[in-house]
Amino acid sequence: MTAFLRSKRVHATILQCVFFAALVALFVFLGTTGQRNIEAQGMATGFGFLERSTGWPMAFSMIETSSRSTYAQVLWAGLLNTLLVGVLTLVFATLLGLVVAFLRVSTNLLARFAGTTFVEIFRNVPAILQVVFWYAVLTHTPRPRDAYTLGEVAFLSNRGLVLPAPVFSGTDLLTILAALLAAFGVLAAGRKLNLTRRGRILVVATVIALAVVLWLTGRVPDAPLVSVPELAGLRFVGGMTLSPEFLGLLVGLSLFGAAYVGEIIRGGLLSVEKGKLEAGAALGLSPWQVNRLIRIPLACRAMLPSLANQYIWLMKATTLGLVIGFSDFFAIVSTSINQSGQTLELIGILMAGFLLLNYALGTSMNLVNRRLKLKGGH
Amino acid sequence: MTSKIVTLAAGVALAVSAALPATAQAGDTLSAIQERGSLLCTGHNGSYLGFAEVDDQGKWQGFDIEFCRALATAILGSPDAVQIVPISWAQRFPAIQSGDIDVIIKVTGWTQSRDTELGLQFSLPYFIGPFYVMAQSELGAESIADLEGGVFCANAGTTVERVLADYLESNGIEYQPLSFESGEELRAALYAGRCDALAGFGPFLAATRVNAPDPDSLTIIGEVIQLEPEGIVVREGDDALLDVVNWMVSALLLAEQEGITQANVDEFRASPPSPTIERLLGVSPGVGERLGLSDDWAYNVISAVGNYGEIYDRTVGEGSRYKLPRGLNNLWNNGGLLYPLVLD
Repeated sequence: MTAFLRSKRVHATILQCVFFAALVALFVFLGTTGQRNIEAQGMATGFGFLERSTGWPMAFSMIETSSRSTYAQVLWAGLLNTLLVGVLTLVFATLLGLVVAFLRVSTNLLARFAGTTFVEIFRNVPAILQVVFWYAVLTHTPRPRDAYTLGEVAFLSNRGLVLPAPVFSGTDLLTILAALLAAFGVLAAGRKLNLTRRGRILVVATVIALAVVLWLTGRVPDAPLVSVPELAGLRFVGGMTLSPEFLGLLVGLSLFGAAYVGEIIRGGLLSVEKGKLEAGAALGLSPWQVNRLIRIPLACRAMLPSLANQYIWLMKATTLGLVIGFSDFFAIVSTSINQSGQTLELIGILMAGFLLLNYALGTSMNLVNRRLKLKGGH
Repeated sequence: MTSKIVTLAAGVALAVSAALPATAQAGDTLSAIQERGSLLCTGHNGSYLGFAEVDDQGKWQGFDIEFCRALATAILGSPDAVQIVPISWAQRFPAIQSGDIDVIIKVTGWTQSRDTELGLQFSLPYFIGPFYVMAQSELGAESIADLEGGVFCANAGTTVERVLADYLESNGIEYQPLSFESGEELRAALYAGRCDALAGFGPFLAATRVNAPDPDSLTIIGEVIQLEPEGIVVREGDDALLDVVNWMVSALLLAEQEGITQANVDEFRASPPSPTIERLLGVSPGVGERLGLSDDWAYNVISAVGNYGEIYDRTVGEGSRYKLPRGLNNLWNNGGLLYPLVLD
């Protein structure tokens, strides 16, 4: 018995249990006293307010919202806005970062200088300043009626960037989604069936052609395919508008992120041993082939963990939208707190939302990491 | 960023303080203030022009700040016995619930959810806030309907957002809403022409206009879209403090109605013309005792900050650079909506 108690593993287990129990007890204690004090102050608690209409409109939302929407709907729309800006930021920061990284490792002096200048400028100025700066630039563009225009179809004014947009209905979106799924399925099946490269292209082309035919026949006759913006009174109608708030946040964060992502990619590229690149060249591969087949795959493995960190950081930085009036998740939660007064619940929702977003992001990066990881030795 | 951190911090502070036993207990705030020797009152994060602004010496001034001083004088006898806590719009409710401040004097609209669910109570309105729309002059709009389709800006998280939505929707006017958490960003966006119009509280609009690079570029449109009574807020159950607040507001109005000013209050006290004034200035006892204060509290308040009209003129009215007309914030016998209670 004493031997059992003295065993190291039992010791560790008991310690862990005690620690966990203490942690649970602490949270229960904080929760119950919090609840009691809130009740003593006569404050309403719980999530009932989520069903109530907000009474205030959202400036920007991807789903239909109005001042009659419930708090739940508005918060959901806010989360989607954050997701939109976040994902676009990651895409642009990565693409731009890739360019910057290649500039930085280039053998060309001018290219290296350009890359270094970019990184030093955008990495060393605080993100919030950059966001506010781009927002100020965008709002100091001319009024709609004096907008800069590109061929009378795209306009840049202090109301944002207005672009022509394809006209989609709900069924169109469904068609596109179905076509994508079908193409993906065919490709997956094709791999099993050992289709040739030409065979696969043929199958995908057929699916796309079918989808286009379905889209063209299924739509309302004579409806325009593309909506072109036009100036009407104080604003543009038609097309799609990217507001200065949205653009300012996207541009600011993408440039800021690109400086960091660029450095991470550069680190990855530099981690590839020179010998491997020389071996590739010795085998007669072109410089592009060396990059594509040897350098980038090996660099990816080295940089994924720090890249995942940076992505999560950028996702959280979307909360800067609050400063320039973009309706991101944080701004919506903040306004909701003020309008409904349900501070604790809403802070909880805010934390849960970001936990979910970043956990999903982290998990998918880990998945990619696992797929890319070297199996066995070198 | 700052306000973001501040809001979060307020949330965390609320979570922590709510979880700790013996948080600010409603009901004894008045004695807590007296024991502490100072009143914790609301300021603003930055400047809310005319109401709570920081001057170039870093001192707080404005209409709401004067009421903080008046309340401090009523309770503690000195207008300096007040600590102004800088606070954002969103932070004011968590801050009072957690006991970081004693009262909210921050042009706070009396709404049902605040009054009930948030566990707060409101004083008699000390200010009547008409909501207007201020448009860019170059648009030549004569009514709000002329701004159809425009971008309407507002302070995020205030009642203005709701009032504006109600008015425009019920009048079938389409618009694009845009709201900002920080007053500085809101003004910058307006001055840059990002907003076609700014909706808000009349005094706030007037102050924003005065501070514009070119005040003539902005025009306040005459339609009142809504009227909002603004009250001073205390915690539910703080009845003693609420009584003091209500009678302080009433005393300031009564003083104005009777022509008692900061300059002549001593003459009135030396020879009170009526029994009511005798009671108000503490010449005959009772006015303080009932509230748990000294009998000369109203006298102290008037000699420290003046009557309601004097406060108004000094901070937002004719004596200030905002030159706001009294309008509805005048006494009932001057065409306004304000009146003192009966001092018996």
